[in-house]
Amino acid sequence: MTRQPMRRTIRGGRPYFFADPAVDKVLNMVVVLASEVWTLRERLLAMEALQVRQGGLAAGEVDAFEFSADDEANLGVQRKEFIDSLFRVLAEQVEEANRVTAAKPPAKASATAQTKAKTKPKAKTKPKAKARSQVKTKPAARSATKSKKSARKK
Amino acid sequence: MLELKHELKLEKTRDEKARMNFVSGLRAHVLNDMASGMRTVYDAEVEPAFRRQHKRAPAQGPEVHRAIKPHDCFKFYSSLRVTAQDMVWQSVIPPLERNRPELKGRAAKLAAKQLKGKGALRGKGSLNLQPGFTVPRYVSAIDVHLMAGNYDGEYETDDLAAGSLYDNGLAVFSFGLMGQNLDDIGQSIAGFIKLKFPELKPAKILDLGCTIGHNTGSWKDHFPDAEMHGIDVAAPCLRYAHARAQAQDRELHFHQMNAEQLDFPDASFDVVFSSMFLHEIPKKAIARVMAEAYRVLKPGGLMLHMELPPNSQLSAYDAFYLDWDSAYNNEPFYKPFRDLRPQDLCKQAGFSPKNYVQFVIPSVGWYGEEVSRAAALQPREVDNDKTGRLTDGIMWYCFGAWK
Repeated sequence: MTRQPMRRTIRGGRPYFFADPAVDKVLNMVVVLASEVWTLRERLLAMEALQVRQGGLAAGEVDAFEFSADDEANLGVQRKEFIDSLFRVLAEQVEEANRVTAAKPPAKASATAQTKAKTKPKAKTKPKAKARSQVKTKPAARSATKSKKSARKK
Repeated sequence: MLELKHELKLEKTRDEKARMNFVSGLRAHVLNDMASGMRTVYDAEVEPAFRRQHKRAPAQGPEVHRAIKPHDCFKFYSSLRVTAQDMVWQSVIPPLERNRPELKGRAAKLAAKQLKGKGALRGKGSLNLQPGFTVPRYVSAIDVHLMAGNYDGEYETDDLAAGSLYDNGLAVFSFGLMGQNLDDIGQSIAGFIKLKFPELKPAKILDLGCTIGHNTGSWKDHFPDAEMHGIDVAAPCLRYAHARAQAQDRELHFHQMNAEQLDFPDASFDVVFSSMFLHEIPKKAIARVMAEAYRVLKPGGLMLHMELPPNSQLSAYDAFYLDWDSAYNNEPFYKPFRDLRPQDLCKQAGFSPKNYVQFVIPSVGWYGEEVSRAAALQPREVDNDKTGRLTDGIMWYCFGAWK
């Protein structure tokens, strides 16, 4: 037999515990992600320890480190981008609502309406977004906790 | 994470080690912290609610299971335990895939090696595989412990990847509770038996369903003059077991055999042992294994099975807790086995009820040699939340009989 890659899916299935199995799957993703975060931390610590060992860093130097004002500003921009991208999925809802609002016939788009725009659109888009999300997130009625019995088949 | 010390251990990158560390830590958290949290919630909410409704406490494991199932503590514990179990194997497969091409070469060199030290009577262990051997369906049909490929999956000629997956996976899985060499069960029990029965001088010992021989070797350590044999149905595990034993200078003899039908003469062994084996096979097979153990034992010999404690000796909650694996960890025969009475199994196999034995043995790795020695002199009862449960302070349960 020539070498084949090892199998990675489980015969006999995988049990789910929440009313919607998607919750179990998302929990799995969160934990896998946490594992990668931990892996990065270990790697970073290893890099730091190596630097200290090789004399590139003094012990505790990273903790005592202060960014320059320019670096700090740059970091601030990057942090904002990071947070925006993290919550991108939520922003989509708002963008969609904005698109709907914008697509409405510009009948009342008078100069006076434009000046009031600062407060009005917010009040308009919010309830719409809420209504949409309520429809979307209704959980599918599924039986709880599925176990598998396939293994018992003769 | 536990690092294997022998020559078959996988070369891993820094990140791969970190992932394994994480999974070990996750499992320790789920099995220690979350498990005790779930118990607290059960005592405070689930059990009182059951009492109000039924005017009594839950009588058996399944009742506890049904009562706790709707609670978040159970759902998160269970979902995270399944996730962690899956991640055990997923953390090993990438480095194993990379190591596979030269792992076989390393194993072949080890197989040819001349052994040294007190475990080497003839200087070399052996491996006897049976071409065309039929693996029973209860092994070949599912992935036990959610381990993709199970013990017997083969991906190339003379493959031993499944053995490596199990060895390295067990190192991640056990978060130290199974010893540095994953042989705490074997070391604790063989050491205990040697202390408790100093008159026992076995010439031949058999380990049933030995997989990678991690506990087989412990008997050789405690009884170096004995000829030590291990059998299993899974060829990739046996190939690995042989190389692993050679790497550790232990003279062990491995055979591909079904424990239901042993290819050994009557009355040929002084000790027949198994660990975590009976609960992996169906009831009919268990009866045949016990009968075969009786047949191959010499008169005066000892049969001893390390197992999970039977439900009849556990509280309803602890029975539920151990039965979790049967429902959710691809262990279909685990609860049916634990519902049996070990005394009955021994009697049905031909052993006299007065020769029945049962021991609760403290983990030598956790408690140290002295406690182990004291335990040999003083019998212990099944300690509900420590016996057979992979948790801090573990005790191993075993039962059997003298022929």
